[in-house]
Amino acid sequence: MVLGLTGPFSEARGRSMRQAAELAVAELNARGGVRGRRLDLRILDDSASEDVALRLAQQLRDDPAVVAVIGHLTSGPTLAAAPVYGGGDRPVVLISPSASSPALSGRSPHFFRVCPSDLAFGSRLAQYAMRTLGARRVALIFMNDDYGRGIRATFHAEFTRLGGQVVTEDPYLPSAGAPEPYLARLARAGGADALVLAMPRVAAELTLREMARLGLRWPVLGGDALSGIETLGPPAEGIRVATAYLPDRPGERNAAFVAAYGRTYDGARPDHRGAGAYDVVQLLARAITDVGADRRAIRDYLATVGGARPAFEGVTGRIAFDSAGDVPQKAVVVGVVRSGRLVTEASQ
Amino acid sequence: MTRWALDTVRMRVVGGLAVLIAGLALTAMVGVTALRTMRGSVREEMLGLRATTEVTNGLVVTVFDEIRAAEQYLSAPSAEARAQFTGASDAAFAYLRRLETLEALTVDDRLAVNRLKQLHAVIQVEYAMAHALLDLGRGADAVRRSAGARAPATELMQLVRGLSTRQAGRAGAVAERLTALARRREALLWLLVGAVLVGGVGVAVVTVRAVERPLDRLVVSAERFGGGDLRPVAPSRMPAELRLLADAMSGMGERLRAIVGEVVTEADRIAGSAGDLSAVSEQLAASSSEIATAMVDISSGAESQRNDLREVAVGLGRLRGATDQMTGAATRVAGLAGEIRSVADRYRGDIAAAGGALREVREAVEGASGRVTELAARSAAIDDFVDLIKRISSQTNLLALNAAIEAARAGEHGRGFAVVAQEVRQLADESARAAEDVARATSAIRTQVDEASASMAAGQSRVRGVTLTAEAAVRGLAEIVAAVEQVDQAAAQLARTATDARDTTGHIGQTVDLVSGRAMSHASGAEEVTAAAQQQGASTEETAAAAGHLLQAAEKLRGLVRGFRT
Repeated sequence: MVLGLTGPFSEARGRSMRQAAELAVAELNARGGVRGRRLDLRILDDSASEDVALRLAQQLRDDPAVVAVIGHLTSGPTLAAAPVYGGGDRPVVLISPSASSPALSGRSPHFFRVCPSDLAFGSRLAQYAMRTLGARRVALIFMNDDYGRGIRATFHAEFTRLGGQVVTEDPYLPSAGAPEPYLARLARAGGADALVLAMPRVAAELTLREMARLGLRWPVLGGDALSGIETLGPPAEGIRVATAYLPDRPGERNAAFVAAYGRTYDGARPDHRGAGAYDVVQLLARAITDVGADRRAIRDYLATVGGARPAFEGVTGRIAFDSAGDVPQKAVVVGVVRSGRLVTEASQ
Repeated sequence: MTRWALDTVRMRVVGGLAVLIAGLALTAMVGVTALRTMRGSVREEMLGLRATTEVTNGLVVTVFDEIRAAEQYLSAPSAEARAQFTGASDAAFAYLRRLETLEALTVDDRLAVNRLKQLHAVIQVEYAMAHALLDLGRGADAVRRSAGARAPATELMQLVRGLSTRQAGRAGAVAERLTALARRREALLWLLVGAVLVGGVGVAVVTVRAVERPLDRLVVSAERFGGGDLRPVAPSRMPAELRLLADAMSGMGERLRAIVGEVVTEADRIAGSAGDLSAVSEQLAASSSEIATAMVDISSGAESQRNDLREVAVGLGRLRGATDQMTGAATRVAGLAGEIRSVADRYRGDIAAAGGALREVREAVEGASGRVTELAARSAAIDDFVDLIKRISSQTNLLALNAAIEAARAGEHGRGFAVVAQEVRQLADESARAAEDVARATSAIRTQVDEASASMAAGQSRVRGVTLTAEAAVRGLAEIVAAVEQVDQAAAQLARTATDARDTTGHIGQTVDLVSGRAMSHASGAEEVTAAAQQQGASTEETAAAAGHLLQAAEKLRGLVRGFRT
């Protein structure tokens, strides 16, 4: 019985997902497996590349041993590969722990995710900027891909609705080098009350370093793609990150998970991707226990979780899918980097 | 046999047509389904192609717009150009998103789309950076930056062209596939049409053979019958209608065979009879001449016999006369006996009636005698009464005398009383006289009664004597009747015997007459027989000749019938 696990595992953002999934499988197998059978992971690195994701999707779908796939970590590869998983004679279900693009909602009947979409992140960030930070003029730099554009669109809509002004929206790619021209132009134009970085951690780190170099000190906010940025050091201090999961999330189940994760991986802390992957493995194990290791049965089972069947209580909270494969009930919280740790901000 | 039995010409024809129609309907259905499927495929493919073409064309146009607006901003910065650039970028991104969601894409196509997205992102970022640099007054940097967008733009255009080309190629492939499909469907249709035709021809051939073969056999059988071969029709599988015909023909042959058989038997029998007939005829002829000879002897014997018989007849006549007389006497005796019997019967009746009357008289006399005796007894009582009256009247007279004496002694005073006493005395006297009269009358009556009793007793004994006489008379008459009865029976027996004797004599006479008549007729008959026998002899010869002819005819008939094969 094999579960596919695919994400950018060569990168830092993929580490927690892989480790948490392995932890979950190890725990299950230690308890005697699922239906008396050992559970295995087929771990494939998509390098966050849509091209690679497409090939991996075909490979995993055509492998009869694979009963379900956990992935991908990012929105782009997920968007590209979802039709492949859902096509062919024997479609296989794909569950992402962290792909948040709004375009993924209802993308395929074989796609589910356990994180909220960017609609939730973008609008949560807009509310936080307006209400908690008191920002009125906000600048935004977005990764010029599905993720960045998704956050940009939802943030823009909510912030404008709340009466704020988005002064600049600049596209960015790490390949284009540091976003120095945008920052310099913004500084000359009088700066902003806050800067939203709708981009992954690597790009954000470049931007933060550039800001430090230019001596700019605007409050910085971002989506959960920034998770892990707390390890950057001083430039990351005080950054707000909207996420569906924080390791200090209350609850026994989460505490046990975080403790086990720390024990297994030298005191490391899981991020939202890891926690999501852990939940997905546990959810799939329960589905297989209930309906057997059949691709179609598993898909049909997942479609009823939180509907005809009770919701799944995971370490990230309650998982209940809607008809688009989303988890609309999941709340988004904003964490803040304090002393190299992403923690729940008390003022919320 | 029902109309819809399977093995009939009708059902074969109907079934064959039904199979053909079903085949044609199937063919039509396959044709229609094929056309519909093809139409659906064509429509689906065309829609896919159209969507792809629309998106790729839109993408190319918007990317051109985007680059144009970006370059325009670089040469003459304006908010309008910047807005156009941003709008075109967003539109291009939307097209790329649409391209990504197209169903008809292959994995290679999707890889191309990914690359397009990357290229477009690079182009947009390079221009945005260039614009920022320009805004910062670093024109040289801006130009350098914008140059970085040219290579991706060129690649993007090439990729889009490649995508279009692939789509065009796909269209060609689709057209080819559809053509192949159409060809396959066409072949299938032709195959079906061929199958239907073959089926039709097969049904026709089978039906024709199923009808023709048995029909041929029947024709052959019919011809055989015509030629005189009456052997049965060979049984074989054939439709019900023809089987009926074959059965009818077999029946006909059967009957013909039976008839021929009978004719043969009859002919044989006739031939046999004709042979017998001629033999008998010959015998008959021989017998006839014998008869003629015998008859001559018979006629001569008959004459003497008749004379003897005539004497017998005379004797018999006399005997008959005597018998007749005896019969008459007996008849008369019977008549007398009858008269006697009737007279005796009548008197016996009268006497019986008289006996009855006498019995009644005797009973009446006995009754009257009883009553007279009674009367005598009563008259004795009257005597007693008269004595009483006499005693009373004498006493009364005595008393009246005493009274008159006493009245006389009383003088004047007793005169009245003397009158009364006188009166009483007279009354007593009268009473005494009356009593005397009564005594006299009674005495006279008693005398008469005694006389009557005596006469009655005499009458009674007389009557008893008459009665006895009458009873004796009745018994005598009965004996007479019995005697007469016996006479009558004897007379009747005599009469019957006489009658029998007469009948017998009559018979004998008749017989004698008959015999004598016969003897006569025998004599003449013998002559006739002789003549007839001679005539018969001639006829017999003719019969023999006819029997010969018959024999010949029977032989001929037998020969003819032998022509039939049964």
